[in-house]
This record gives sequence, structure tokens and C-alpha cells, in this order.
Amino acid sequence: MSTDGNNTTEGGSQAAAPASPRPYWIGVGLMAMGAVWLYAGFGLPQGARYAAVGPGLFVTLAGAGLLVLGAILVLQIWRGESFEAQDAEDADGATKMDKRAFLTALVAVALPIGTMGPLGMPFTATLSFMLVANAFGSRRWWLDLICGLVLACAAWFLFKQLGLQLGRFFPPLGV
Amino acid sequence: MKFSKTLAALAMTAALGTGAASAQVNVMLPANPGGGWDGTGRQAFQALNDAGIYTGGVNFTNTGGAGGTVGLAEFLGTSTGQPDALAVFGAITVGAIKLNNSPINLAEFRPVARLTAEYLVIAVAADSPYNTLADLVAGIKADPGAAALGGGSAGGVDHISLALLAQAGDIPVADLNYIPQTSGAETVTAIVNGTLVAGVSGTSEFAQFAEQGRIKLLGVTSAERRPNLPDVPTFHEAGYDVEMANWRGILAAPGAPDDNYAMWVENFTKLSQSDAWKAVLAAQGWEDYFLAGDEFGAFIAEETERQGQILKDAGLVN
Amino acid sequence: METFELLLHGFSVALQPTNLMWALVGSVLGTAIGILPGIGPALTIALLLPVTTALAPTSAFIMFAGILYGAMYGGSTTSILLNTPGEAGSMMTALEGNKMARAGRGAAALATAAIGSFVAGTIATLALTFAAPAVAELAFYFKPTDYFAITALAFCSVAVVMGTSRTRGFVSLFLGIAIGVIGIDTMTGQPRLTFGNMQLLRGIALTVVLVSLFAVGEILYVASRYRSTPGVMAPIKGQLWMTKQDFARSWKPWLRGTAIGFPMGALPGSGSEIPTMLSYTLERKLTKHPEEFGKGAIEGVAGPEAANNAAAAGILVPLLTLGLPTSATAAVLLAAFQNYGLQPGPFLFTSNPALIWGLIASLYVGNVMLLVLNLPLVGIWVQLLRIPRPQLYAGILVFAMIGVWGLAGSWMDLTIMLVVGLAGYVMRVYDFPIAPVLIGLILGPMAETQLRTALAAGQGNPMVLVSTPLSAILLTLAVLLLALPILLKRLRANA
Repeated sequence: MSTDGNNTTEGGSQAAAPASPRPYWIGVGLMAMGAVWLYAGFGLPQGARYAAVGPGLFVTLAGAGLLVLGAILVLQIWRGESFEAQDAEDADGATKMDKRAFLTALVAVALPIGTMGPLGMPFTATLSFMLVANAFGSRRWWLDLICGLVLACAAWFLFKQLGLQLGRFFPPLGV
Repeated sequence: MKFSKTLAALAMTAALGTGAASAQVNVMLPANPGGGWDGTGRQAFQALNDAGIYTGGVNFTNTGGAGGTVGLAEFLGTSTGQPDALAVFGAITVGAIKLNNSPINLAEFRPVARLTAEYLVIAVAADSPYNTLADLVAGIKADPGAAALGGGSAGGVDHISLALLAQAGDIPVADLNYIPQTSGAETVTAIVNGTLVAGVSGTSEFAQFAEQGRIKLLGVTSAERRPNLPDVPTFHEAGYDVEMANWRGILAAPGAPDDNYAMWVENFTKLSQSDAWKAVLAAQGWEDYFLAGDEFGAFIAEETERQGQILKDAGLVN
Repeated sequence: METFELLLHGFSVALQPTNLMWALVGSVLGTAIGILPGIGPALTIALLLPVTTALAPTSAFIMFAGILYGAMYGGSTTSILLNTPGEAGSMMTALEGNKMARAGRGAAALATAAIGSFVAGTIATLALTFAAPAVAELAFYFKPTDYFAITALAFCSVAVVMGTSRTRGFVSLFLGIAIGVIGIDTMTGQPRLTFGNMQLLRGIALTVVLVSLFAVGEILYVASRYRSTPGVMAPIKGQLWMTKQDFARSWKPWLRGTAIGFPMGALPGSGSEIPTMLSYTLERKLTKHPEEFGKGAIEGVAGPEAANNAAAAGILVPLLTLGLPTSATAAVLLAAFQNYGLQPGPFLFTSNPALIWGLIASLYVGNVMLLVLNLPLVGIWVQLLRIPRPQLYAGILVFAMIGVWGLAGSWMDLTIMLVVGLAGYVMRVYDFPIAPVLIGLILGPMAETQLRTALAAGQGNPMVLVSTPLSAILLTLAVLLLALPILLKRLRANA
């Protein structure tokens, strides 16, 4: 996970050569993540007065496991292990990656981190709705705007009524 | 600016119907919905409303985690200097701050009122060889490692009361083999299946299992015997000078305006005398443990000192 | 006979008008999400978790149970008519069911699926009714070492069984375990891997991971490889009901599917895929019409559908009696119990009988409701598939972000949603199984707590881990599961 930043470019090269992708970066990423966990694990007490194992044990184990698995994965990739994309409903693993659609959807997912607090949930949700619909090929943005707004407002009121903490309706106006 | 805000609010309210009314008091409940703190906060404001003491809007925020320290840290950040910003907390917070090395200092907040308390009981399995608290303490003393003890989270009130008991019985606190459990019911299960030699939890949680004959109650941490548990001796009676209550109370934000703070102290003082609150206490099985304002502040300081010392003795904090 | 009285009392709870309404809401929601792609029962219940602040526990659990059962019914509809299973548990149904639909026997396939689900659901609920109180007593005999052995076995079986390779299964599992250790250590109160961040102290919520991996990961993945030509829906035509012969060929698979599904559902990590696969294989072996398999054999629909519903009831046994979640859905239900300050386990049966028995009784009620909802109304349900995909996936993202934001109003959770969602995308692209992540996240902390409790109570002696017969057997099985394939390979290489 620590190498998520890489995956768009790598995903792109995968699309370019779908026959035999060699995603070394996944193995390396897992090893890096394992190293972080191992380091954190060693910083924690490994023992306890009676239990013999302390809070550090599982962290260390998780780190060591990821490190070893990452190394095995690199080895397997080097030996030519095949990685075929999964089939899903509405998606075909064999098709080429649509980078524009992927990035649009990614922006829709990343957007709330910045706007959920200052601009409120209904606004953010409407925007994300339009972006995802666009990523899936919808070109009638005004229809998506209306759909998204209605859905977001309805959900906001319904869940608010049910006791969810969704924040204010539109914070810039103080409502 | 203020006018345009009001206008916008009015327009939105009119356009969108009900539901968007802005809340007047913000209450931080530093626990997940459903637990004791959540209940204390929500029930107290319901009773304030029912008794006609405070009938304005209330905006609750649940932010659970780490004995309330996560929620209080957020409260500190968002509400410092604000009027009408309150937070629920309790005895567990005091230990959790020390244990998690949290930057929160309870003395910075303005103490409004201590509301409720629950006393703790210590229990052993129904077929345990120990029949009195003295038997149990002697058993632990003989081989502390073999006597696994359990209760709530490490450094919480259950753990601290056991540590105080150990001290009173001349057992080094650091020698106790304390194993935290996730709930009172888990503690009972562990006592019954033999994992734990003894366990501690709130009276309301253990009483029903004692009635079923699964466990024996050896002592209660209150000053006097409890009316609903007339056969259970206090720790004092058994010869151990230990008193411990799992109390819950209300704080106002640090630097809250004086008049607003005084109003809330008065509101909760009125609440403590109201029939609505008495009905809540009876329905929930909570003990009345009211103390307001500066006296409550002094009590918090005392608890901070006492719990800090015992955690140090237990080797849990430096 | 005490059980019977308690059950009657449960019915008096479940049949109250408000609770009936919640059962209906749950059944409708469950059927809908079973039909729609991208959302499953675990995700739906996770998104609805926050309503626990507003609803009474009995009503909430009755609704959740309706969702759990309803998703199993709904999933079969799309499998049969569209050849696209809405749920992992309906994959086997698609094999024969869609062939039947194309041959003009869609109505019969839908009927055997719905009636099979009903029969299995009812029998499994009966088994739950009478087994649960007895299993609950086991909680007083099971020790921490037994629980640790159960989790260890679950880890090994999940990682070995799921996914294309054991390495990838274990990668997923360890990712889950690694996420699970973030936050405050419950035994000592020490912060772990929080990097000084206060919001990470309470750990990464299961809901956030679940929503991100399933909903967000799926949206990103489908967006990048979208197939805009929707599947062809087989029309419901031909004879409208099961023939006598269909019945004769269906009832045995129903019962066998139930017998496989119920106990398998109760085991940690087996999910609903394994029992349905087993049932399909078994029916294929036992059938008198082997030539029809692959071309639309009714046994191949009846068996797996029954197994899949029985497994849904099966997961409730360890959950309600021991507080042990065996699947993602069960883990979310456990979180719901904890939201109410309730700890599932033997004491819940005595301390809150109205809730437990009301819930069990509502399963019977829900089954009847679902049969009525699904058999005659199937034509209406498939209309749901007409929702245009762009708006459908956009809507799923809106609900996903409400679920994550509504949890605590924290931008940290939204950031985790992005990161884990990306991970979910990568896992789909390079074919890593998703389910082991959740098993690691759910059972990892449990394994750790039980291990440390067992060792502390045994004063650090590692022999305590095999001190009970059950723990010794389960740990041996776990080791065998890991070592056997390697040994077999060696032996074969030598031969």
C-alpha cells in the first residue's frame, strides 16, 4: 500500500503489454511496508511480565510476514508468474485500461478529503457523483448534476434523521 | 455578515423544511454510540429537556477511542474558548491520559458536574476455593503469577481497584498478573472457564451472573454495602482500605466564558434535584454521585494524583 | 421444551407491527443489493451501522437479518437471468441457472432457487434455534487457547483455499493482519503504528476498510475497464412453473445443500463460496442426468442455492453463541452488537432473550416474506438492472462516502478510503483475493488477544497453546494444511 503512488503508471504499462506484466513494484512495495511494520514492532516491548509475548510480537510478525512474502513475490514474478486482471460484473479483465476514466474516478474518491469538511457532504457528494458518472461515460452533465444533488440531499436528510453525524448542510453559508 | 448568515439560514430552513435547525449546544461524547458515556450524555440532556431546565437544541458528536482521550483532544481543538461546548468524560479518562501519554491536561478544562457513579465488585468462580476477600488476597500473595486477574482495559478503574487492593494487602502491584478483557460478560466467561482466578467489573454487570450462580461476589468497592447486594461486604469490612467508583461527569471547554460556564453549572445542579433525572437514574441503575463546579475540579485533581501514583506503582507508566 | 417457549416469545417480538416493518425493509433492501452489482450484505449493513444510534436494537437486528437473507435470494436472480452473480455465493448458480434460462426454463430455475432458499433457510434457522443454546454453553469450556487455535486454522485455510496462489492468499491475509495492529494495543494501552496521529489511536475501522476495498476498489476497477455493453438478459418464457419432475429432481439437492451449507457457514473463513462449490460438485456426482450438467441441470441450481442460504444462517451460530465472527458480514454484525454495548455470547441469551429470540424468530418471518417477495415479483426486481451503470456506480460512491464520513466525521477516514480503495484496485488488476484481507483484519486482533491471554494465564509456558484436546487438534490441522501440499509435491517429484 505504501507504493500506491506508483500504481497508475505501472497500471499503464500493464495495459500496454497485457500479455505478461511483471509487477515487481508490488513485491518491493510489500517489502517496504513490511520494513515499516518491523521497525515499529522492534520499537515496542516484545515481552511482558507473565505473557512472555508483548505488544510488539504481532506487529513484528506482520512485518516479517510481509517482508518474506514480498521477496517470494519478486522471485515468482522473476520466474514469470502470470497476473491476470479479475473479471467483474460490468468489467472485462482483458480490456485495455482506460486511464482517463480511472483518473476521473480517482479524483472523485480523493475529492472528499478536501471538501467534505469545509463544503459539506451534499455538495461533495454531488460533485463526486458527477465525476464518477462521467468516468463511466455519461455525457449529460446537467442530468448527473440533478441526479447527484437529489440523491445527496435526500441521503443527507434521511441519514441525519437516523442520527448520523454528517455535519452541516452547506458550511460556507452556516447552515 | 451576521444578518446575511441569519437570512441564509432562514431561507435554507424555509426551503428545506425541518431538520436543518442549528444546534445551540455542542456536546462531545468521546465514545462510540451505545456505551455508558454516550448514554450519560444523551440521557442527561433528555432529562434537562424534560424538566424544562434547558430546552434548546443539542448537537452530539461521538468520537470514540482510547478511553475518551481521542474525543477530548478533538474537543480541545475545536472548542477552546467557546461557550456552550460540553464534553462527557469519566474516571477511565484520568488513567487513559497517563497511560497513552496523551497531551491532554484535565485541569485545563472547566469542571461542570460529576453526575453518576458505579461501584465495582470482585468475583471468583462459583466453585472457587476462595470464599472471602482475605482468602483471595492470601492466595494471590502466595503466587501472584498463578493468580490471573481480569477486568476492563489496562489502567482502567477495574485494574486500578485491583492494584489498590494488592497494595492494601502488601502485594507488590507490579507482580499482579492482570489480563484485560473486552467486556464484563467476557470477564465472567473467563472466570467460569478457569482462565481467570478472579475478575472485577461494575456491580450491574456482575450482579445478574451471581444470581445465576455462575460466580461468587467477594467484595464491593463502595464505602457502605449496596442496597441491592446486601450480602456482599465492602473492601473496608474485609480489612482493605480501598474505595473506588467508576464516575462520569461533564466538562466545559477550556477558557469558556464565565457567565456561560456558571449557567451550565447551575443547569446541572438543577438537573440533579429534578424528578426527571431521578427517574433516569432509577431506570438505568446509576448511582447519584453529584458534585459541581470547583469542588468537582478539586476531586478531578485528587483522582489524577491517586490514579497516576498507582499506575506508576503498577509499572504501567514511568 | 424451554427453547420452544423462548421461540414463541421471540415470535411475539418479531410479529409486532414495527418489527415486521423493519423485517420488510431489510428483506427489500437485501433483495435489491443482491441484484445490484458492487454492493453486498456486509457492505450494506456496514453503511447502515450508524442508524444504531436511532433504532432499538431488536428492530435494527431484525432489519440486518432481512438484509443478510435477502441478499442470498436476490443474488440468484441475476445469476440465472443475466449470468452475472451479484454475490460471490451465487457464482455456482449461474453455471446451470443461466443455461436453463436460455433454454426457456428460467421460471423453473428461479422457482427452484427461491423455494430451495426458503427450504434451506427455514431448516437452517430451525437448526440454529435448537443448536444455539447448546453451543452457547461451550463458551464456558472454550479457553483462550482454543480460540487462538480456531483463528490460526482459519488463517491457514483462507490463505490456502482462496485466490490463485498461496503466496497471494497470504499476502492478502498479512495485509489484513498488518492493518489490524494499528491503534492502541488493548492489552497494554500502548499506541502502535500511529506515528503520533491521534485519529489513528482508535485503529482503522473495519467499516472503512470494507467500504474502501469493495465499493471504492470496485468503482475504480470497473471504471478503468468498463464494458459498456450490458449482459444479455434471458427472457422469462416457456412454462411458468416447476413441473412435477422438476420437484422430484430438486428436493434432494435442497436438503443436501442445506446439510453442507449450515455447518460450513459456521466455520471461520469458509464464506459462502466453498459450500456452494461443494454442493455443486456433489450434485454433479450424484445426478442421474449427468448429460444435462453444463447445459442447464436443475440440480445444479437447487443444491448451491440451498447451500448458500443455509450458510447465511450458519454464520449466526458462532456469532450469537461465542461472539466469534466467521465472515465479513458476521464481523459487521458483531460491530453492530458492540455499538449497542452488547457482547454476543452465552450471556446474551439470558440477559437479552427478547433480542436474541426476536432475531431468530424474525428469520422465519423473513424467509416467508422473501419467498413472497421473490417468486411472483421477480419481474419487477430485474427492472433494477435497468438503472444506467454510470449513475448506479456514482450512487454507490455517494453511499460509500456517507458510510465513511458518518462514522466519525474524520478526514483521516476519507484518506484511508482513498489509499485502501487504490489497494483494492491494484488487487483486482493483479488478481489478489480480497476476502483474506478482511479475515486478517477481523480475526487478527482476536488471535493476538487470545494468544496473549492464554500465555499470560499460563505464565508464559508455550505448552499451554496445546493444553486442551481441541486446541491440539486444530493447530495440528492448521500445520497439516500448510505442509501437506508441499509434501505432496515433493513426493510426486520423487516418484
